[in-house]
Amino acid sequence: MTQYAKDYSVGELMCVTLAKEIEDGDVVVLGSFTPLAYASYILAKITHAPNITLLAYASVDTRPFQLSFTRAEAAATRGAALMWTMLEDLNSVHLKGRGDVEAISSIQADQYGNINLSVIGEYDTPKLRGPGGAGAPEVIKMHRKMIGYFPSHTTRTFVPKVDVITGTRYVIGAEERVKAGYRPGPIRYITNLAVISKEEKDKPFKIDSLHPGVSVEQVVENTGFELEVPRDIPETEKPTAEQVRLLREEVDPYGTIAFDFKPGKERLEYLNEILQKELESIGY
Amino acid sequence: MPGENKVAKLSDITKVIKDGDRVAVGGSWLGSHPMAIIREIIRSKIKNLTAITVVGSIDIDMLIGAGCLSRLMFSFVSMEAFGLAPNFRRAIEKEGLPYDEITGLAVIIGLEAGGRNIPFLPYRGPFGSDLVKYRPEFYKNIKCPFTGEELIAAAAIVPDVAIIHATRADHAGNVQIEGTSGTDIEMMRAAKKRIVSVEEIVTEEEVRKNPEKTKIPKFQVDMIIEAPLGAHPCSCAPDYVFDPWHIMKYMQAATSPETFKQYLDEYVMKPEFEYLEAIGGMRQATVLRRLAREVKFL
Repeated sequence: MTQYAKDYSVGELMCVTLAKEIEDGDVVVLGSFTPLAYASYILAKITHAPNITLLAYASVDTRPFQLSFTRAEAAATRGAALMWTMLEDLNSVHLKGRGDVEAISSIQADQYGNINLSVIGEYDTPKLRGPGGAGAPEVIKMHRKMIGYFPSHTTRTFVPKVDVITGTRYVIGAEERVKAGYRPGPIRYITNLAVISKEEKDKPFKIDSLHPGVSVEQVVENTGFELEVPRDIPETEKPTAEQVRLLREEVDPYGTIAFDFKPGKERLEYLNEILQKELESIGY
Repeated sequence: MPGENKVAKLSDITKVIKDGDRVAVGGSWLGSHPMAIIREIIRSKIKNLTAITVVGSIDIDMLIGAGCLSRLMFSFVSMEAFGLAPNFRRAIEKEGLPYDEITGLAVIIGLEAGGRNIPFLPYRGPFGSDLVKYRPEFYKNIKCPFTGEELIAAAAIVPDVAIIHATRADHAGNVQIEGTSGTDIEMMRAAKKRIVSVEEIVTEEEVRKNPEKTKIPKFQVDMIIEAPLGAHPCSCAPDYVFDPWHIMKYMQAATSPETFKQYLDEYVMKPEFEYLEAIGGMRQATVLRRLAREVKFL
């Protein structure tokens, strides 16, 4: 019988939930350095999905590595089976529809499958200038599934309509995707409260599962658009004791996953703690 | 007979980069940005540049904060886990810096078109994105002449100058990259002039021992500059990691124009050879190199 962890953080729960989106054999692209997503992919690789191909920085089929704050790029490079330029990467993976998962996050996301990483307010005179979409506008269209993770599920993030559409999953539905050489697949968002997903262009987002202790009302109240609420919503499967052990002892012993969940002020202090541990690990 | 020699001093970049140029800046995320060249651009007070980046960070933020840019083309500018880029945000939100946000694949494909000497390249692009609508001078919806299928054309990008940082090169300019090449190679192919800073300049024989590591041939290079730790505070994988302690200092300094000017005075507006001392000297360099070496696989 599966032994579930008695004690786990919401970050660990999200991490394990995201890892379940990875199927063995998938081509998984690690975009910008986000500890939670990186930890998920590495956890998947050392547990249920040993045959996935990880692409991180310039590396292709890199070995699963231990996460730290400073060393992901060095580790990915040292563990690479092959090194690609970004052009080789997009020619071989993105444009060809060979990518399976490349989780994204965004400032806003709406009911239509649009994301906004650009601005809050007007494009030329923004209230907030975001980082920009990088490859996300293309990634969410081309890969088999569109997976997003949101450490803070609020009506500020999940809005009826994004201020600017940086990118969108759907202009075309499943049938046209196949014609264009892409594979059909859902949008699935893993948040700190629940898992919600949208199966097709014309269908609403629905609640797939609620994290332990979270109510339907909480999710509905914190989502700025209408959700389909099935009658029986399962609880998100808890992390197993072994998954939590692997995360804490092997994948992320420096505790980088928790970084995304620290409020602004505490972040710097927490980062200093991580860096101190990293220095100790090399004998300083 | 003496061989070809493109080795130059850092201060020689002013012979290539001029006020008003469109400059493609290599490196990606917090990796391999040509920071020694960026600092020299600031020191030389080159102005009114249009910077072109795919995934920029402190390179772009520093150029903006020092007042070197009059326009920016980017798909992403962020200090990653350290937060949003402070000077970049301030310049766009408060000072109206004109910018073109272009989706990531479109910048890369645009550079590739530039390198192929054609005006555009089509792809199954970001249909439905507002960025396509906002920049019609860069994106066009087109029909395939064979099948009639709808595609998006990304306009060619031809920078005046490309600047990148790499692992090593010989005197003639054959460049080896061992780490994250990002879009450096595409930028070098597309640009009219190209400057490369390298960790070390080596003999031709040394380069020929590992030809598979050579990613850029000498005829695509105009100037080679030796700049050990030249990507600092960014990484140059797999040799050294980015310097989180320095980047934290930078983030603190960049919170206001006044404190940022102090940062520039302290670290940038002095000869580059004093920079390494200012950031902690050999001890700091050793820490960053050790971290990059001591990685663990599972």
